[in-house]
Amino acid sequence: MTLLYALPALAWRPFIDPISLHEQWWALLPLLALGISVIYKAVRLPDQALRERAAREVLIMTIQIVAAMIALALASYLLVEVYRPIVR
Amino acid sequence: MPNAAGPHDHEKEAFQPAAMVLAFLLPGAGHYALGEVRRAFLICAGVLGLFFGGILLGGIDSVDRKDDFIWFMGQSLVGPVAFGIDYLHQSQFKVVEPRTGVRRTAIPGESRGYSGEPVQGGSPPNTKSLGRVNELGTLFSTVAGMMNLLCIIDAASYRPRKRNRPGGVIGRLEAGR
Repeated sequence: MTLLYALPALAWRPFIDPISLHEQWWALLPLLALGISVIYKAVRLPDQALRERAAREVLIMTIQIVAAMIALALASYLLVEVYRPIVR
Repeated sequence: MPNAAGPHDHEKEAFQPAAMVLAFLLPGAGHYALGEVRRAFLICAGVLGLFFGGILLGGIDSVDRKDDFIWFMGQSLVGPVAFGIDYLHQSQFKVVEPRTGVRRTAIPGESRGYSGEPVQGGSPPNTKSLGRVNELGTLFSTVAGMMNLLCIIDAASYRPRKRNRPGGVIGRLEAGR
């Protein structure tokens, strides 16, 4: 019976069925940040910078986005779990 | 009197309608036509990578003009690719209710008949995307469209970074005038 429930996951068809990453969804956010950084830097960087240090610029922006998301999550946690019980 | 122009306004912007249309038809094609090959490659890889990455995560169900119209407005900015994927989804994967004519995703234990009608038994053509994976798949492909809008605007209001006139196909056409 357990195998029966596992069958849909085994029969995953790429680009047709959703991938089973419900618990690890947060690991996909850096990929989103990377995609955004590649496109933004492709548009914004001057010619010379695009030739010489595009990868470095993309990596820095990706880290900045991920760090900002972590900081916002931390700030939300502190506001709801720490600050709110104090002022309540 | 010395020129007080800043580093970004030393070249005048020129409206490029052909590059704008090409950028909409295929991500990066507008910049390619303007001679910006490296930019074009990065834009194409970034936009299509995000868009198809979203479909890989959420399945074909993450692009749905009928059920997620607001999200599709963002996804449609990727260009004809998004409309093609949606057409494929609506016409080849959804089942058609015989009485109402409404298209919907087939439920487990149901398959799709030759004319699109739901048939009991078998497996559905695709699985409905739900939860976090659906959210992320839709988000990836919508962000791809919104970032492509940035690229379309950049191609349309082209400002040569080095050259005095656009290079590539459009530059050669303008030089031939």
